[in-house]
Amino acid sequence: MNILLVEDDPDLAAYVLRGLAESGHHVDHAARGDSGYDLASRGNYDLLIVDRMLPGMDGLTLVKSLRGKQSKLPVLFLSNLGGLDDRVEGLNSGGDDYLSKPFAFTELLARVNALLRRPHLAGQPTTIRVGDLEMDLIKRRVTRAGREVDLQPREFSLLEYLMRRPDQIATRTMLLEGVWDYHFDPKTNIVETHISRLRSKIGGDIIQTVRGSGYLIRAARTSS
Amino acid sequence: MRLEHLLKSASFKLTAAYVGLFSVSVGILAGLIYFSSTSELDRAIRTRIVADSNALREEYAHGGKDQLLQAITERQRGRLIGGLDYTLYDAKGRHLFGTLPVVRCTSGWVTFTGPPDGDEPTGEMEKLGVLITPLTHGYCLLVGDDVGKVQKFGTLILDSFGWVFLLTVTMAVAGGFFLSSRVLGRIEAINRTAEAIIEGDISRRIPRRAAPDDLDRLAATLNRMLDRTTSLMESLRHVSNDIAHDLRTPLGRLRRSLEEARRTTSSPDEYRAAIDRAVSEVDGILDTFGAILRIAQIESGSRRNGFQNLVLSDLAADVCETFAPSIEDVGKSLRTDIQRGLWAHGDRELLVQALANLLENAIAHTPAGATVTVSLKASHNGVDLSVADNGCGVPEAEREHIFKRFYRLERSRTMAGNGLGLSIVAAVAELHGARITASDNKPGLRISIAFPAAA
Repeated sequence: MNILLVEDDPDLAAYVLRGLAESGHHVDHAARGDSGYDLASRGNYDLLIVDRMLPGMDGLTLVKSLRGKQSKLPVLFLSNLGGLDDRVEGLNSGGDDYLSKPFAFTELLARVNALLRRPHLAGQPTTIRVGDLEMDLIKRRVTRAGREVDLQPREFSLLEYLMRRPDQIATRTMLLEGVWDYHFDPKTNIVETHISRLRSKIGGDIIQTVRGSGYLIRAARTSS
Repeated sequence: MRLEHLLKSASFKLTAAYVGLFSVSVGILAGLIYFSSTSELDRAIRTRIVADSNALREEYAHGGKDQLLQAITERQRGRLIGGLDYTLYDAKGRHLFGTLPVVRCTSGWVTFTGPPDGDEPTGEMEKLGVLITPLTHGYCLLVGDDVGKVQKFGTLILDSFGWVFLLTVTMAVAGGFFLSSRVLGRIEAINRTAEAIIEGDISRRIPRRAAPDDLDRLAATLNRMLDRTTSLMESLRHVSNDIAHDLRTPLGRLRRSLEEARRTTSSPDEYRAAIDRAVSEVDGILDTFGAILRIAQIESGSRRNGFQNLVLSDLAADVCETFAPSIEDVGKSLRTDIQRGLWAHGDRELLVQALANLLENAIAHTPAGATVTVSLKASHNGVDLSVADNGCGVPEAEREHIFKRFYRLERSRTMAGNGLGLSIVAAVAELHGARITASDNKPGLRISIAFPAAA
C-alpha cells in the first residue's frame, strides 16, 4: 500500500517510515505542509498520515483543501497537542482517525491497517459470520455453532467491532474509542475484563490476543 | 498637592458641574419670577388708578365739581395705607384738593418723585405713578399711587434669591469638597493596596467599611478577584513544584533501572524485559503529563462551548455497567442507586471521565471486599451525583486537599497513580458549575458533585 507521511519532526518521521516499511508498506515523506499537499493531490496514495502542526501549511488546512477537491483519501491525524478539542477539530476537517503523540508504533500500525481496509467494510451486512460464530445485526443475536449466546449490549458491540474487522488488530485504545466512545485512558482494565467475559461466553478460541498490541478475530479460522 | 488632587477628582468635577447647572437655573427662575411679578403688580396698580379715575370723571359729569370733591373727600377719608393720592386743580392751577404739583393738563401718565411717605427705605424719595385726566371747564384730575413699591417688591425677590443662591452654592461647594475628599480617600486606599500588591505584598487587601455602598462593593469584588488571582498563583507555584518533584521520582527510577539493565543484563530476553519495564515507566510519566495538560484544558473553559443537554442517568448507568466487571474481578462490589431520567447540561466525554476517575479512585483506595456505591438523585436545585465507599476513608483534615493536584495521602504514596485523578474530577465539576465535596461516609469516603439544574 502507498502511504504519504507529512511530518516535520525528522526523528518521528524516520521512526514511522522504518516501521511502516518493515510492515510492507511503501511510504513517501514530506516535511512541509505545502509540499505534502502537492504530493497528496498529485500522487496515487491509499492513506495520508498528517501532523497537525506543520511548516508551510498546517494539517487541518491541508486536509480541508484535499476534501475540497473531492479527495476520498483516508486521513490519519497525528498531533502532540493531545488536546480535547483537537480530535474533534481533526475529524471535522475531514480526518478519518486521530492519534495523539506520543504513540506506540503498534497503535499507529493498527490504525493504519484499519484505515487501509476501511473501503471493504462500506456495506452494511445484516449478518456477519466468522467460522461457526454468527452475528445477526438486526435481531442482535449471536449464535455459536447454532447455539444462541446471551450477550450484554456492551459485549455485543465489542464482538461486533471485532467481527467487522476480521484479521485486523484492534488495540485497547481503538476499542475504548470505537465501542465505548471513551477518549481518555482509564487506569482500570475494562477492555481486558470485557474481552475475558466475552470469551467465556463464546469460547476462548475465537478472540486472539496479540501481545503488546491488542485483539483480533481471524477470518480464515480452520473450524475445529 | 492634596487640593490639586481634590480639584481634579471626578466627584469634585461632577459637583462643580451640578453647582454650575443649578446656578444657571436659579438665575433664570429668579429673572422670570422678578419680571412676571413686578409687571403684574405694576399693571394691577395702574388698572386700579384708571378705574378710579374713570369713576371720578363719572361723578364730575354727573354732579359737577362739588360732587367730585365730595367723592374724593370720601375716598381720602377712608384712605388706609396703600390708598391712592388725589389732586384736583382748576384752569388757573389753583389746588382744590391734594398736593401734587401742577402740570400741563393732557391725558396720560406722569411720574413724580415726592417726599417720602413713610414706607420708603431711608433717604429715598417716594415715586408716584400719576394718571392725568382733564375735565371740562379747565379742571384737571390727578390720581396716583406709589409705584416705588413695585421695584421694592422686585428687589425683595432678587434679594431672597440671592441669599438662597449664596447659601446653596456655599453648601454645594463645601459638600463637593467633603464628598470628593471622602471618595478620593477611599480610591486612594484602593490605589495604595494595588501599589503594595505590585510591590510584591500579594496578601494585601482593600480595607472594607461597615456600611456597604457601591465603592465598598467594588472593594469587595476587587478583593475577591485578588483572592482568586492569589489562589491561581499559589496553585501554579504548587503545580510547578509538584511537577518537578513528581516527575523526578519516576525519572530517577527509570534511570536506575536502565543503568542496572546495562550492568547486569546478558540475554536478549532480559534486555526485552528491562526495556518493557522502562517503557511502562515512561508511559506512566506521559500519563502524568497528559493529565496535567488535560486539567489545564478543562480549566481554560473552552469546552463549555460544546455543552449539550444529556441524560445524566443513562451516562452514569453506562459507566457503572462498564466498570462493574472490573470491580468484581478485584473482589469488590459496585452498587448503583440511579434515579432515571435526570438531565444535565454538559460535556459527555468529560463527565464520563470524571465518573470513571471517581470509581477508579474508590477501587484503588479500598481494601478487598469493599462496596462502592454510585448514586444519582434529583436535589432541590439540580442533580446530585455521589460515589461512596466503605473503605478506611480520609481524615477530616485532609479531605479538602484531596482535589489538589498531586495530593496523595501518606498511606497511598506507594500505590500506583499520579495524584491527578480527583483533580480532573474537580476541574470537570467546576467547568459544569457544580460543587464538589468530600465527606465522611461512616465508614469510608463519599465524594458528591452537586450539578445545577439543566438550563
